[in-house]
Amino acid sequence: MALLELQEVTSGYAFGPDILQSVSLTVDEGRAYCIIGPNGAGKSTVLKTVAGLLRPREGQVLLDGTSIGGLRPDLVLAAGICYVPQDRSLFPDMTVKENLVMGGFLQPDRKVVSERIEQIFDMFPILRSRAGQHAGTMSGGEQQMLALGRALMTQPRMMMIDEPSLGLAPQVADQIFETIASLRQMGITLLLVEQNVLRGLEATQDAFLLDLGTLRLEAPSDRILDDPRIRELYLGRQLQRGTEAETREN
Amino acid sequence: MSEVAQVMILGLLQGGVYALMASGLTLMFGVMRIVNLAHGVFIIAACYVAYFLFVGPGWDPFASLLVTIPLFFLLGMVIYRSLFPRIEGSQRFSEMTVLLTFGIALVVEGFLSYFFTGTFRSTNPPYTTDAILIGDLFIPTAQLYASMTSLILLLALWGFLFLTRTGYAVRATMQNRTAAQIVGVNVRRISTIAFAIGMALAGASGSLISFLYPFFPNSHWRWIAILLALIVLGGLGSLKGAVVGALMLAVAAAFVSDMFGATWAPITFFGALFLVLLIRPQGLFGREARV
Repeated sequence: MALLELQEVTSGYAFGPDILQSVSLTVDEGRAYCIIGPNGAGKSTVLKTVAGLLRPREGQVLLDGTSIGGLRPDLVLAAGICYVPQDRSLFPDMTVKENLVMGGFLQPDRKVVSERIEQIFDMFPILRSRAGQHAGTMSGGEQQMLALGRALMTQPRMMMIDEPSLGLAPQVADQIFETIASLRQMGITLLLVEQNVLRGLEATQDAFLLDLGTLRLEAPSDRILDDPRIRELYLGRQLQRGTEAETREN
Repeated sequence: MSEVAQVMILGLLQGGVYALMASGLTLMFGVMRIVNLAHGVFIIAACYVAYFLFVGPGWDPFASLLVTIPLFFLLGMVIYRSLFPRIEGSQRFSEMTVLLTFGIALVVEGFLSYFFTGTFRSTNPPYTTDAILIGDLFIPTAQLYASMTSLILLLALWGFLFLTRTGYAVRATMQNRTAAQIVGVNVRRISTIAFAIGMALAGASGSLISFLYPFFPNSHWRWIAILLALIVLGGLGSLKGAVVGALMLAVAAAFVSDMFGATWAPITFFGALFLVLLIRPQGLFGREARV
């Protein structure tokens, strides 16, 4: 069943040119998707437009068939879609615990918030041991875990994660992708943007290839990995770089 | 020794009121990145409200707080909602707010001059000339009352920011606007509230300085210049910084005034501003600009 649907969406930043040009794509409930493509293709713009941080200039964004395009970010979140941006966007001067409390901002019942924080702590024991530490002083991997944990506080139906492994050491990135795998097991629909194409494709079932703001290709992730022609045509350089990184790691 | 203590006390008493004025200004910058050059003119406008309540129905300036605080809160909501959404989303939002609020300052000053003329005015409740003597130390009553009231209002602000749900949302927005949005804070609403609170603080400051410093429509430029120096020293957008900066500079100005004469006191603020920008541009509690 289609959970999220973009119909010919054109979008961009305030006072700027169109970044996305008439992009249509469908995300089914319970599946994991990866958006790949070169820099400046508009991958993050898709996520920001769905999250309500950008207003679509044309076209429709539908959640369960209801339009959410141009809705305020807090309303999109309340509808069940949460967004983890590239810079993680934590509250640097708040403690880990306070960040999680803020994650439960939409939940008025404080008891429920405390229970969820305990669940997050069970999932990420490192966060429990850092509960009183200011978020800005943690390592990149810990910050990413906190960002994911904070996003889970809203009990989302769908999570959009932008570059989860950006700036992380390979071992730390492994941990993050293990977490992402467990999100899938929890039944959360995933929409991922990942610079490391190989990792991104391995973690997902389907992929969208964006280039210059338009959707070029939509295919199962493993088919893109296996098909030498697609690899060469669209991902040549990138995938090679990704593979090199992987080999170095192993 | 007692002279040093005396100057310290006078400085701290002034600093208390400065802190109240500066906190509104820094709150607006912290939450919304608005550089509000009109903050001073609204303080002066509130002075006039306190003045006319004093000479008309004979209200004590402290009683006028009951009018100035809610009045300027509402005014803040109206001004924010009607003027600022037009420039939201601009790449140069902060710079635009400088122009916008400069314009607001000129317009409000024009109205004040037109209606109330350029005459110096001040409220003079009976306690303005009183003082309390503790040993050798001389404590002017009016200054004492004003800074105590400032302290209470600042504590109330602190309580709001740290103990309420909306206060959490305001602090969250100050630290990272995008982050606040993605956890479900309606930042437009929070910005309106924060701007209105900043204006309410300007209103309260007006009531308090109406009997401490004689005012006329044009005198807001003097205030905004001092206030900007205070919040730059503290670190733009840091409330703690605004309070500490206000107290430090007020004490420093009191010493300068004691040693070289009152004419030299204002140079303290600009000298400090110069030094801060030279040595530690992010201020005492400011974060370095992140890219």
